[in-house]
Amino acid sequence: MSRIMLTCRINGETVSALVDPRDTLLELLRERLGLTGTKEGCGNGNCGSCTVLVDGAPVNACLMLAQEAPGCEITTIEGLSGAQGLTDLQQNLAEAGATQCGFCTPGIVISATALLAENPAPTDADIRRAIAGNLCRCTGYDKIVRAIALTATQRGG
Amino acid sequence: MALPTTKRDDHRDKPASSIGQSLVRVDARDRVTGRAMYPADMQRPNMAHARLKRSPHAHARIRAIDTSRAEALDGVFAVVTAADFAKVPLGASIPMGETGYDMWMVAQINMASGKVFWVGQPVAAVAARDSHVAEAALELIDVDYEVLTPVTDIAAAMRPDAPVLHEHVVTKGLAQAADGPSNVCSRTLIERGDAERALAQSHATASVSVLVDTAHQGYIEPQAMVAEVSADGFATVWASTQGQFSTELMISRMLDRPLSKLKVVPMEVGGAFGGKIAIHGEAVAVRLAEKCGRPVKLVFTREEVLQGGSGPTMGMAVDIRVGADASGRLSAIHGVYRVDAGGLPGLSPSLLMQASAALYQVDDLHLEGFDVVTNKPRTEAYRAPGGIQGAFAVEQAMDELCLRGGFDPLEFRRRNAAVTGSTMPIGTPFPSIGLSEILDAVAEHPCWTKALEPGVHPRGRGLALGYWRGTSMTSACHVIIGGDGRPVVTMGAVDISGTRTTMTQVAADQFGLAPQDVHVQTGDSKSVGYSDGAAGSRVARTMTAAIVEACDDALAQLGERAARLMQAEPARVTYANGVFSLDEGRGTSITLAELMQETLTDGAIVGRGSSSKLPLGVEIAAHVCDVEVDPDTGQVTILRYTAFQDVGRALNPSAIEGQLQGSVVQGIGWALTEGYDYDANGRLRNASLLDYRLPTALDVPSIDCVILEKPVPGVPYGLRGVGEAPIVPVAACVANAIARAVGVRTGRMPMTPERIVMAMRERAGRQI
Repeated sequence: MSRIMLTCRINGETVSALVDPRDTLLELLRERLGLTGTKEGCGNGNCGSCTVLVDGAPVNACLMLAQEAPGCEITTIEGLSGAQGLTDLQQNLAEAGATQCGFCTPGIVISATALLAENPAPTDADIRRAIAGNLCRCTGYDKIVRAIALTATQRGG
Repeated sequence: MALPTTKRDDHRDKPASSIGQSLVRVDARDRVTGRAMYPADMQRPNMAHARLKRSPHAHARIRAIDTSRAEALDGVFAVVTAADFAKVPLGASIPMGETGYDMWMVAQINMASGKVFWVGQPVAAVAARDSHVAEAALELIDVDYEVLTPVTDIAAAMRPDAPVLHEHVVTKGLAQAADGPSNVCSRTLIERGDAERALAQSHATASVSVLVDTAHQGYIEPQAMVAEVSADGFATVWASTQGQFSTELMISRMLDRPLSKLKVVPMEVGGAFGGKIAIHGEAVAVRLAEKCGRPVKLVFTREEVLQGGSGPTMGMAVDIRVGADASGRLSAIHGVYRVDAGGLPGLSPSLLMQASAALYQVDDLHLEGFDVVTNKPRTEAYRAPGGIQGAFAVEQAMDELCLRGGFDPLEFRRRNAAVTGSTMPIGTPFPSIGLSEILDAVAEHPCWTKALEPGVHPRGRGLALGYWRGTSMTSACHVIIGGDGRPVVTMGAVDISGTRTTMTQVAADQFGLAPQDVHVQTGDSKSVGYSDGAAGSRVARTMTAAIVEACDDALAQLGERAARLMQAEPARVTYANGVFSLDEGRGTSITLAELMQETLTDGAIVGRGSSSKLPLGVEIAAHVCDVEVDPDTGQVTILRYTAFQDVGRALNPSAIEGQLQGSVVQGIGWALTEGYDYDANGRLRNASLLDYRLPTALDVPSIDCVILEKPVPGVPYGLRGVGEAPIVPVAACVANAIARAVGVRTGRMPMTPERIVMAMRERAGRQI
């Protein structure tokens, strides 16, 4: 199938890429643009490893076609911290031992970032609901929930 | 000539050792920023993308494979089938630990030859311009199958008239020699005394039968790999594996490729839990790369992972009978374990049988196990393989015995607990264990002492124990000292559980340096000595022993060099905290950094360490949980969960908590929702993470951990294994809580709402 040229906004930059019309947003990010921080765990929206922000809302990049990207502001894990270092949320997740194998972690960082932007003072139940779409097989979730809660507290939420 | 021994002065003030501290993972920042590299993240110039063609049949003979149409498709670079691989005969094995590893099985998992034994077994592979083209090419590979009748459950497979999967399999271990091929590969018997007689004479008895569904390890990272073969014929494989050396041996054997022409580079591993010990496609990727002259990337889809591409772990049918005298002394354990190995034979149930009965002192014991093949994926290890299934049966039987005999479940276990020196099921004395201390800790903890408050629905509290033996095998490492005096340790073990972090703590402690002044890395299979894989709760213990040895070796070499520089006899040199000094610190001194700056060009300092046959660090856990059960829907809510475990010595308490919490949640998943659901043709009906349901953050409470430390003699720091025992008691613990809440046991795992409601209806029917 012949490729099409596509231009969109990713991590604050305007980027262009040749994509296969069948490519998902996840394939655009990972295969065409080399933004491999976003992971593929299932390819059908069940695991949340590919969560990115689309206009500020968490979205499974495996369920969105690359062709839908133009016109949206997309933020991936690479766009959160940049060269400045870690966000407070990332720092707290690291220090809490909230990442083990790390494969689900970028998706969880994105989901939690979206939660804290929308709800500065989430309860533990709010946090668990916000990351319920992100499967983690290593941690048992406890340290993740604590790190997100700590971030909210530190921000004065 | 023996190297001079440099005395280590342990009395000087050290910088605070990080042993026992929750040092933040040294790789945490790479993980939270998405920079950690897994094989699927690799890009190589001119790279092709591979896909595997898999069998749609659970049991069939392959008559012929025609790849010509696929090869003709534009953008297809190479196609391979079993004909492209070395013939690996029955009985072939590669070295691994004490027993070796069944290489025939590995070959069949990677590429079926002659016959397929499950849906999803690979029969061919394609490398193409991109994954879309590769996918299209799979449809153009024509496989002519003679479809055979599948056998999809243990009971059907054991029937005398069952279709036979393997003509060469004759039941081993029978009292009388078997007279023909069978789906029962072996019978294992562990026996002492007369369990039947002891049961007949018991004051109280209980009998529990369970059927455990096949389940998957559930790592979030699907299998992924990149293979590249240089023009000079050297192959490099970037892999997500539990062992770079076993992966190398397996690839080498499947391809008849010399080990000197093959390197396995371990990347980050996105979860494994036993499912990434065997290779799944790595040899295929190398062969494709050879054939098409390009690097090849192969990444599984989730459906492939679940539908026969890797894993799962074994289902099981277990019948347990136990008895006790009037005082609550256990009189007998009688167990029959039928293990569903999946499509290929060779799964010994011996360890799981022993584990299930290990924590009780009992004179009369009969444990009988059967390794049964069915037309399902060949099962692989999963965190204490078989442990949770065995405990699901035995720990429920013990709980039922307590209910029938009127014994307090904790006191009953204290009364019968195995202790250091008591007889294990195989007849040898227990090494040092802290079960009694664990049970004492349970007795004093609020999770046990505080009464369960009533809720909207019935509530119950469960208790269960878990044991896992673990293993030691071989670990190797070396340490070099940089020009600034900072040590760099290269390990032969991959990091699947924070190993680089805990080993940084060990190496820093050995040198008396701060953790940030030490670097610990995982070596590829050509840069460090042979180590067995990361499995069996062995790496932290054995790599610690290897690092201690390597650091001693390096310090001896350094001490000799320091003596020369300070113009003194080596015997006068002592080392502590980065400083060599003479005469117990009263004389001249030189720092490690100064020493290396002065002598870097005098030759390399390489400290070597290896560990093999280290004493076992057996793992024991006790779990307590409170549940609430909605009697109308069968929905189970876990209100509280507490895991107690003796870890010998907690190198990094946060990492240990992470192992315990993650283990418990995996166990809860299998206990309540995770199970393979096959149709009559052996096709998995729930091959997605929507229908094969791992626990989400909403399904589980915060898991409380109580860490006890009873060091293991003869092991540096007294370390025990950690990562396996905490999954063992979980399903039984939840089952015992459910039984105490609503009075039923499902006899099935997972204990889905439907099964709980059915069990309650059945009981109500009986009562009418």
